[in-house]
Amino acid sequence: MDGGVATAAPAIELRDVRKTFRLESGEEVVAVDDVTLTVPEGEFVCVLGPSGHGKSTMLNMIAGFAEPTAGEVHSGGEPVEGPDPRRGVIFQRDTLFLWKRVADNIGFGLRAKGVPKEERDEIVARYLRIIGLESYGRAWPRQLSGGMRRRVAIAAVFANEPEVLLMDEPFVGLDYARRATLHQVLLDLWERSRPTVFFVTHDVDEALALADRILVVVRGQVAMEQRIELPRPRSVSDLGHGDLADLRTRILEHLELGSRTA
Amino acid sequence: MSATAVTAPPRKRSVARTPGERSAKAMRPWVVLASLAFMVVLWHVVSALAGDNKSGEAMVPTIIDIGGSVDRFADYWRGGLGVEATRTGGDITFMGVVLGFAYNVGLSMLRLLAGLILGIGVGIGLAVCVSWSRVLRDIFTLPGHFARMLPLLAMVPLFSLWFGNTEHGSVLFVAFTSFALTFAIALTAIGNVASYYAQFAQSLGASPARTYLEVVLPAALPQLRAGILLAVGFGWSAVIASEYLGQEYGLGHIVQNAEFFGRTNLLALVALITLVLAAVSLWAASRALDWATRWAE
Repeated sequence: MDGGVATAAPAIELRDVRKTFRLESGEEVVAVDDVTLTVPEGEFVCVLGPSGHGKSTMLNMIAGFAEPTAGEVHSGGEPVEGPDPRRGVIFQRDTLFLWKRVADNIGFGLRAKGVPKEERDEIVARYLRIIGLESYGRAWPRQLSGGMRRRVAIAAVFANEPEVLLMDEPFVGLDYARRATLHQVLLDLWERSRPTVFFVTHDVDEALALADRILVVVRGQVAMEQRIELPRPRSVSDLGHGDLADLRTRILEHLELGSRTA
Repeated sequence: MSATAVTAPPRKRSVARTPGERSAKAMRPWVVLASLAFMVVLWHVVSALAGDNKSGEAMVPTIIDIGGSVDRFADYWRGGLGVEATRTGGDITFMGVVLGFAYNVGLSMLRLLAGLILGIGVGIGLAVCVSWSRVLRDIFTLPGHFARMLPLLAMVPLFSLWFGNTEHGSVLFVAFTSFALTFAIALTAIGNVASYYAQFAQSLGASPARTYLEVVLPAALPQLRAGILLAVGFGWSAVIASEYLGQEYGLGHIVQNAEFFGRTNLLALVALITLVLAAVSLWAASRALDWATRWAE
């Protein structure tokens, strides 16, 4: 041991993780293939890759929704044994509870944790202000646009103060302007509490704009890994020049190669 | 003056409508009234042709006869509130008719309500338990589906033998029929709730009980609606049938008595009253469910 300084356990750790599925035909499909991966506390990791190459499966195992066929998944030094509010999840699908008003959606996790009503109302009001929906607390989710709903889902998870934030293509299907707004909302919220983020996306520009580190997953394995040192926020011109442009090209080459071999 | 081009007004385009829109718009009042008038005329023609039964009552009573039989409700007042029962020598009075009507309709409604609450509650509760626990699923799924397939009204004599002339018998029979109709639909509705709702709730720290109560059940409610309305509609048949065999008061008992004495006019009147009550209760249940699912897209 050197110096006796305790180092924090990684926020996410995958050790030789493998996940296979058996198809109805009996054929076995390898979704995640012996992946070893460490994400330190507070890092914003974006995971890119072609569809069906294991990104979401990895996320589901970290969330505790699926068990690995082999290997171990740890979070904060503890084995993942099921869903846990310390690991918040924002899904690709619209998961807002349609039968709860916007404020009740944001306060759902707080109520589950037993936060007293007064404190809960205060936190909910604060998050409604942050996401710019302070006058929508009593609205039903159906009365909101797609972008507004995503903001509420993000607020619901952040209000719960997770240590790890798992996001599975959360902004898919939104136009460029809405995405840009949501990126800003996400980064604003992230800057406040700095949870570790594992962000699955298909959009290379989105990953370049948000990530501290990019992982490219192809055929269930991490095919490429690149740290981005450029500070945020990153503008459109940042993405089109210099190192980021080169990185963009390399990522696209990996994705293209992955798609061809899939 | 220069000639101006006259253009024909644009012809109305026929817009494709959904079957639901078409059926809602197809209800034209004059057609509905004409249909009702036709039924009344047909009823009178059949009434004139059908003749009398052995008791000397018309086989098919006229509408005036049916309306006139309302005073028979006085025979079904148990006595009290200053109005003596006709069976103990009391006269047929307006108050007797009102009390007899209110008492019997009220009793049938209470039995129906108690049975529905019990049956629908158990049906949905058991469906939740069954979808939660594999052991319970193995135990209850098949019997639950069997209950659905039983000829429900034919089970009345069995309940009559089991429970005799007691309140339990009627209430439990209504409960049984509403359970049978609700359970299978509730099971399907809960099974159809997208798993990501429960996953989202659990990732926010919700316990399994909270996930079921606050997420899975409300999400299933729009699909449960059909089962609940079916149970309410069928509930009236069930309560009348159960009272027919084993109760001293209630609309079903009046039916049984009217049949015994061949009073076709009273039978028809009770049928009309039940029709109105069923329509009103279905409307009320539908409005309550509309309110409960006002959040739905």
